[in-house]
Amino acid sequence: MTMSAKGFWTSTPGARIFGLLVTLAVLGVVEAAIRADIVNAFIVPLPSQIAAAIPRIVAEENVLYRFWQTTQEIFAASVLLALVGVGLGVLLYSFRTLRLACETWVAALAAAPVVLMYPLFLVIFGRSATTIVMIGFAAGIAPVILKTVEGLAGVRPVLIDVGRSFRVSPAQQFRLILLPAALSSVFVGLRLGLVFAMINIVGVEFLINFGGLGQLINDLAERYDLPGTYAAICFVVAISIVFYVMTGKVERRLRPHQ
Amino acid sequence: MMATPAQADALLRVEHVSKTFATPDGPVKAVDDVSFNVAPGQFVSIIGPSGCGKSTVFNILGGLLGDYEGRVTVAGETIKGTHPAIGMVFQEESTFPWRTVVENVAFPLEIAGVPKTERLEQAAHFVQMVGLHGFERRYPAELSGGMRQRVAIARTLASKPRILLMDEPFAALDEQTRLLLGDKVLQIQQALQQTTLLITHNLTEAVQLSDRVLVMTYRPGRLKRVVDIDLAHPRDSEVVSSDAFGHYVAEIWHDLREEASRGIQDAESQALHRTR
Amino acid sequence: MSATRKSAPVLRRNLWLVRGAIVGTILVAWEALAASGLLFRDVVPSLRAIGVAVQRLLVNPDFYANLGATAWEIGVAMLIGTLLGLAVGILLGANRFLSRAFESLLLYLGPTPKIIFFPVMIMWFGVGAGSKIAMGVVSCFFPVAISAAAGMRDIDRVLIRVGRSFRASTWQMVTKVYLPAMRAPILNGIRLGLGVAIIGTLLAETKLSNRGVGYLIIQAYATFDMPRMYALLIVLFVLSIGANAVIGRLGRGRAGPAA
Repeated sequence: MTMSAKGFWTSTPGARIFGLLVTLAVLGVVEAAIRADIVNAFIVPLPSQIAAAIPRIVAEENVLYRFWQTTQEIFAASVLLALVGVGLGVLLYSFRTLRLACETWVAALAAAPVVLMYPLFLVIFGRSATTIVMIGFAAGIAPVILKTVEGLAGVRPVLIDVGRSFRVSPAQQFRLILLPAALSSVFVGLRLGLVFAMINIVGVEFLINFGGLGQLINDLAERYDLPGTYAAICFVVAISIVFYVMTGKVERRLRPHQ
Repeated sequence: MMATPAQADALLRVEHVSKTFATPDGPVKAVDDVSFNVAPGQFVSIIGPSGCGKSTVFNILGGLLGDYEGRVTVAGETIKGTHPAIGMVFQEESTFPWRTVVENVAFPLEIAGVPKTERLEQAAHFVQMVGLHGFERRYPAELSGGMRQRVAIARTLASKPRILLMDEPFAALDEQTRLLLGDKVLQIQQALQQTTLLITHNLTEAVQLSDRVLVMTYRPGRLKRVVDIDLAHPRDSEVVSSDAFGHYVAEIWHDLREEASRGIQDAESQALHRTR
Repeated sequence: MSATRKSAPVLRRNLWLVRGAIVGTILVAWEALAASGLLFRDVVPSLRAIGVAVQRLLVNPDFYANLGATAWEIGVAMLIGTLLGLAVGILLGANRFLSRAFESLLLYLGPTPKIIFFPVMIMWFGVGAGSKIAMGVVSCFFPVAISAAAGMRDIDRVLIRVGRSFRASTWQMVTKVYLPAMRAPILNGIRLGLGVAIIGTLLAETKLSNRGVGYLIIQAYATFDMPRMYALLIVLFVLSIGANAVIGRLGRGRAGPAA
């Protein structure tokens, strides 16, 4: 199959490769600029140095263990999000007056800088994994509740009518009609909540200098290990991208055939 | 007001049913003193222009709408809310997208507590009846609109209702699919001797399938006319080309046209008022 | 779940009853917890103590000085970040090739923790307001750029053809066709951007600063002045939610007959 050069570059994979090449080229320019003393090497270490620092960091800094720590925190937060978030969502849906009264509050919570409460959580829970998990949970709960309510409220009325015409009990209606119909939305909310939780968990690890990957960055920065700090930042960014993509794939896979 | 002669063996009796809705523009009488009977095994269509209250009648008979005047009885029993003897097929897409075809059809059996293997077996029987053999494990998203409606019909049939109530189930389909599907439904109805009440706005469909056609007026919906269709059974879609068919269609259209134009005039004047 | 529709005034009254009941229960439970002494002192201060702290805060010129410092940082960050975000977003939205090449970069870098970039920002911009503003810029750039790119693509093609048919220059196209047409998604992007800019800037202030609301919060933590910390958080939340609501309202109102 022949494709013209232009055809290749303008296609999606071709463009992606182009983007990658441009990114590498920019790094190359930065490398050259630092070597030529245009950019201060004390502020921006050589990209090649940063790249070299990555294996060093992985080897010396117990990266695997730190990764495991952060993962555990994210996992704990997600369990809380699933149980409490979806639970509250179902509760709000079940009582219309309650939902109308509180939905704006939950939306406001979604807009509030929840993570700024971390000093408060530090006081309550101490400098521990509990604080980190609770911040992750608090940061991610609003979208879970909102999407759960949205999913349940958005069930097509005709499907509920079908249930009524077959005289289903309230429990059957919930289990056999409402829940499956809302599942798609619930998973979208859970994924959003998980991503917010992850971001805030790593952030708070950095801020309170406790935990896994976030703490690693803070540690290296305080040690003035410049290439190490940059390397760790790149590493954590890469992991959060993978997390984002993976949770997206899982969400799409779990979504029922709609 | 035209009442059908009382039949001692009528399965479904609708007696002086009226329904008024409260709207922001004041009370609207959707259905006005409608009475008719349906005998066992009969196929009756209710036809009328948009806005004649046929869907209201559908919802009342199905038990989804309460708070009306009059009485509806099934085999002598007055219905209050949904009744196990009445099965409904809705106009919109109503299959459960997350269930396979056979699981959809097995739904009423599942509600009734029939164990899994048994209910899937029974459901498969109805899936075959509507001509979807081989599609049991497929999901509704993989089927066409007409096939999905067949699943909905099979699902309702699986609950073995004494009366099958259908609200314009073929409205979203093209004419050819409609005719063929109508054929299929009629075949099944004849085989099962299923008492059926079909709400439709489609003339050809009403005449093709029914033993009796009830024509409703535009809002407030009253029974304008009853037309007995004396075409022989078994019928198939070929019947649409017969003379008798054309005669019935003309007869019904004569009454329908008046009501339909009133409907259009009404809609136009409403739109005019809104833009002022 | 049968719903008996109540009339509007009755429903409104019920809503306020429910809200009042919930708030009332929380306040009562709070006060009970504070008085019980179950948790160590001041983790849950009495409502009165918190009220006094809020009042003290709101009359304190020092607070306003710090609030002003933070607002300044956020303001500058939003200005820079929004302009950059709009520029990049419009460019990517307008050009399919560039979009395919670089937009996934935006989408993937967006949902990452930004505060971890703070040590780098300090190195580049110093320990003063510069690094905090930089954090704000990095935070708000992404939502604005992503919304702008999506908004560009959603513009009704016909409007673009109309602009071109009148031979508008690029600048005119941007200011008279693209931006007005993208008002809703851009405002939404700005709303989201403000939210994360607030977070980014304040978190940076809690980490390393001697001014600003974030600084005050971490100070309250360091001195264990809990009523003051609660007061600061309350004021912060009210202001953030309020700003969010205002921008949200802007996005909805004046939508015009076509919306």
